[in-house]
Amino acid sequence: MAIDPASLDAPFAALAAFDWGGDAKTLAPIDAAVVAAHGDASLTAELEKRLAAVLGSQAPQAAKQYACRKLSLIGTAASVPALAALLADKNLSHMARFALERYAAPEATAVLRTALGSVGGDLTIGMLSSLAAKRDAASVPAIAALVKGDSAVAVAAAEALGLIAGPEAAAALAAAQASGAAAEAVVDARLACAEAFVKAGRKADARGIYEALSKAVGDAPTTHRGRAVRMACQRGLFAAIDG
Amino acid sequence: MVAPCHALVRSLVLTVVCLVAAAPRADAEPASREAFAFAVELVKGSDPDMRAVALERLRDGLAGEAYSVELAEKVLPAVPPEVQVRLISTLAGRRDAAALPGLVSMAASGDESVAAAAVRAIAALGSGAHVPLLVARLEGKGPVRDAARAGLVAIQAADVSPQLVAAAGDATTPAAGRAAIFEILAERRDRAALPLLVSTAKADDPELRAAAMRALARLGGPAEVPGMVAGFLAAQVGAERDDAVRAIVAVCGAGPEVKPAAAEILTAYRAADPATQQTLLPLVARVGGPEALAIVDALVADADPARRTLGLTALSRWPDATVKDRLLGLLAKTSDDGERRLLVGTLIRIAPIPNNGLSDAQRLALLADTMKLCTTDDDRRRILERAGAIRTVETLRFIVPSLDTPPLAESAAKGVVELAHQQKLRDANKPEFTAALDRVLAVAKDPVTRERAERYLQGKTWERR
Repeated sequence: MAIDPASLDAPFAALAAFDWGGDAKTLAPIDAAVVAAHGDASLTAELEKRLAAVLGSQAPQAAKQYACRKLSLIGTAASVPALAALLADKNLSHMARFALERYAAPEATAVLRTALGSVGGDLTIGMLSSLAAKRDAASVPAIAALVKGDSAVAVAAAEALGLIAGPEAAAALAAAQASGAAAEAVVDARLACAEAFVKAGRKADARGIYEALSKAVGDAPTTHRGRAVRMACQRGLFAAIDG
Repeated sequence: MVAPCHALVRSLVLTVVCLVAAAPRADAEPASREAFAFAVELVKGSDPDMRAVALERLRDGLAGEAYSVELAEKVLPAVPPEVQVRLISTLAGRRDAAALPGLVSMAASGDESVAAAAVRAIAALGSGAHVPLLVARLEGKGPVRDAARAGLVAIQAADVSPQLVAAAGDATTPAAGRAAIFEILAERRDRAALPLLVSTAKADDPELRAAAMRALARLGGPAEVPGMVAGFLAAQVGAERDDAVRAIVAVCGAGPEVKPAAAEILTAYRAADPATQQTLLPLVARVGGPEALAIVDALVADADPARRTLGLTALSRWPDATVKDRLLGLLAKTSDDGERRLLVGTLIRIAPIPNNGLSDAQRLALLADTMKLCTTDDDRRRILERAGAIRTVETLRFIVPSLDTPPLAESAAKGVVELAHQQKLRDANKPEFTAALDRVLAVAKDPVTRERAERYLQGKTWERR
């Protein structure tokens, strides 16, 4: 059933003032319109425009989070700038990423990549998480630069490289100069890379990682973690050799 | 490989050795052969972590008969017993019957844990051809015997059943072994064993007879009842005959087959000579039913005191409360102390039986009526202790007054705590139970009763010992 955009005026007016504890039923027509927009480019564009406008308005945080959730379902490159503007907002950055992670448009990945170098602090960890979720190989150099020392960002960067995997990520991890928890995260990420290699049929690459890690941990590790890494390498080697 | 670690160097060396000397079968891919050799090296090594990883790999991967054979026949004999046990388990997990010859050899190991593991693995992988080996391991005690028994219950193959039945019927096998096989056949629900079990139920050897009856109790149906009756008649008076009754009752009580099974017993009874009928009477009564009741009624009404006693004794074995009015009527008329004791005892037994055809109120009323007919405190005490099986607050009200009668107080206290054990009942009638349990603590001396009362008053449960 076609939806008249004019019928959405009142629900969007309600959304502009919507806050926690408000009556969510007033937003139900927007929910229905988002569902109805599937396959309807015109309605999709209209909804995206209105939802993006909410993000740039003075609407309460609850309203903007709602808009992010709806955009995650229908968003295109057109609404990327509106979401990008929220990435540095500590209250809305996570919801903006929630939406952008689900965008197919390459512009979404690009703004996350840009934000990685600009948001700073804990928000950087969020950008790492989203870029990892998008398996963005192009961001490997930027992420690799963060794997140094022992910090929460270094741990998150190592984990992101493990998820992205691929030869560039594996090489970056092999060269990483991390310490403490970040060094452990690097080992875990390298194991993740090796597993991805096995699955991709790149067994020689996988074997190289397993052998290097096995050598690093030694024949008689004294810690529980060392033994676990050694056993993981052994399992991996079997998979790399035998598949 | 760049800068391989020690274990990896060894693995590569071994790989070369294996590739050149071990002559792997054609079905082994080169990569798998390398991984297999690597795993074997780790299994033989001294590192338990690496051995665990290798065994996992051998169990879940590296498939192929050639590997199974090599593991079972070359690797297995060459490792220490504790590793043998784990490798045998791994071989069982591979589900590859090619390992069986090697496992059969290990079943003869002098190390009990190794032999037991091999027996378990043989049962997991084997077929009917391995039944004789497993049967031979049923002798004696210990882990090997336990493994053989469990294995014979679990082993699955079309040809297992005939082999087991043949072993059970082999007269050269010691009676204890054959009895154990009967039990295994029953656990396997193997009805092909029924003819053998029926014929053995009347065998000369009491151990075999008893084992056959126990197995028939689990496997049998109406068709086996005549044979079981023959077994009952062959049983020695005493424990064996009591067990035989229980076995037949178990068959008669098996769901929709109750009536046909009971009819078979009555047919056997009617066909028997008077002396045999006398022997069968307790069994007839224990199974119950209207036709059996007619037989018992006739005996009770007989002018011959001996036959009347037979009838009353049979009545005392009745399985349910359908005879309650008869019992009360007989009790009202008799002046014989022995008969009175027998009839009161029967009422006390049948009244609280769950699912005896009466409602809770009717069961309690019957117990209360019986209480009025009691002439001894022993009987009254039995009633108070049995009353706890009728789980209503009215039962509590029936028991509580007896807490103030010193000869009955201890039994009444047991009845109260038994009722209080039912938490829902207790919570739904908390004031009454609290008062009753306080009174129990005031009069009871039995430490268990007191402990239970204290725990229930605190809202706790109590674990039966």
